Amino acid sequence: MKFVILIHSNPQPWGHPTGDFVAENLALPQDQRDRMGAEFDALLTEIHAKGELVVAEALAEPRSSTLYRWQDGKALATDGPYAETKEQFAGFFMIDVQDRARAEEIAARFAGPGETIELRPAMWPGADEQ
Amino acid sequence: MTEQVGRDVWRHEAPHVLTALLRRSRDFEACEDAVQEALLAAARQWPSEGRPDDPRAWLIRVASRRLIDEQRRRGADAAREQHVAGRVSAADLVAPSAEDEGDRPVGDDTLALLLLCAHPALSDASRVALTLRAVAGLSTAQIAAVFLVPEATMAQRVSRAKATIRATGARLQPPTLDDLPTRLHAVRHVLHLTFTAGHTAATGPHLLDLDLAAEAIRLTERLHRVLPDDTETAGLLALMLLTHARAGARLDSHGDLVPLDEQDRTRWDGELIARGIHLVEAALPVGDVGPFQLQAAIAAVHAEAVTAADTDWLQITMLYRMLDRAAPSPTVSLNLAVAVAMAHGPHAGLAVLAPLLDRDDQRRNHRLHAAHAHLLELAGEPDAARAAYALAARLTQSLPEQRYLNRRSTR
Repeated sequence: MKFVILIHSNPQPWGHPTGDFVAENLALPQDQRDRMGAEFDALLTEIHAKGELVVAEALAEPRSSTLYRWQDGKALATDGPYAETKEQFAGFFMIDVQDRARAEEIAARFAGPGETIELRPAMWPGADEQ
Repeated sequence: MTEQVGRDVWRHEAPHVLTALLRRSRDFEACEDAVQEALLAAARQWPSEGRPDDPRAWLIRVASRRLIDEQRRRGADAAREQHVAGRVSAADLVAPSAEDEGDRPVGDDTLALLLLCAHPALSDASRVALTLRAVAGLSTAQIAAVFLVPEATMAQRVSRAKATIRATGARLQPPTLDDLPTRLHAVRHVLHLTFTAGHTAATGPHLLDLDLAAEAIRLTERLHRVLPDDTETAGLLALMLLTHARAGARLDSHGDLVPLDEQDRTRWDGELIARGIHLVEAALPVGDVGPFQLQAAIAAVHAEAVTAADTDWLQITMLYRMLDRAAPSPTVSLNLAVAVAMAHGPHAGLAVLAPLLDRDDQRRNHRLHAAHAHLLELAGEPDAARAAYALAARLTQSLPEQRYLNRRSTR
């Protein structure tokens, strides 16, 4: 089953990994940050090695986006960001795992201070036997 | 000779070639890679140069050469690997043989490899991938395509699976008679998962050059030929044939799901049904009745009904009760509830479903809410039915199923 893990974050300035630029995370003692960083690296190694990681992308600054809205029968382009919220969509990981429990276990390990992690199932074109 | 026929020939030989190599080298990973390269060479050369007189000997020769090349390339490393005491034992699963290409019964190689690929240390996804590579002779790219993941992701699963087998190799023993039932159970599970993955894929053979459900049937046929007296394997094969018989009727021209009671039964494959019914009828009276035999028996009852209205729901209810005792699961319970509703009325079915609806671990199970909706509809509660259909539609991850459930929730 495929899921996306969406990172919503507010790095100042915008940068990756987002945790290195998020105030709440920077406020932690260095040794704790090092430990969390090492745990996250281990997680990425694990899901890659198991063939669970499908694709991952870090996204550019939200204000670098271009928005297209339909107006007068054609697309009208304006500058981003899309949402006027503090936390912005910063990147995503797509995973393909055995079940939702495994996806939840992985997503929980993405969580960090000052960020929101969203686990969202992906649709698939097939259908279960009824 | 068409290319299709050629492909089937070399793919059929894959397990024999692999076991031949495993008798020479203890490195499962290197052997498997060499077989893949030999299959690729056959794919390139046979269509233009013609099929060799002895395809298996040709493949073993080419694969052996690749294996030796690779070992030379790896030089000292490979030499060391060969001599680590107690290493691997992929080979141990394969009975020693004087002649590699020999006249051993067809099935032995297949069974040994199926057992190896269903190794308990592997995840289900890895077991399926490795079985398709090592036994069915598929390429990583083909396996990746049917599971809709990038080739790199699938390559990672296959290589991890092979590394895991290497790592556990020292402890891997040929299954004993006591052990065999458990290991066979794992093999059947892997074959069933493979079949389900193929059967439930909407993309189908017209988009992919590969029918995964047919592959699973082919492998299960082979296992059944090796172990004709194993009634659960016969039951699994019957279940696959009876399910596959409906493949042509379960999706409409838009790719949307057609529920069983609305399927055009003239489009069911009568030959597959006859074979499936024959298998399950032969298996049921012998020995213990396992879950695959029971599921096959249920599929057979459906197959025997000329119209949906002719379905013998009393018999299906009885079979689901047996299945509920043999292999209880939420899926069996909700299928039982539907069968009870059809046999004894919707309120009786709703009573069977009620405990499931109270279970916290079932609240996201879209199939439960879809079944609930169906029973509410039968019970004359259209508003509650629409709400349950809407809930099921929100929860499913299947696109065609979501379209179907959304239609039901708004009509």
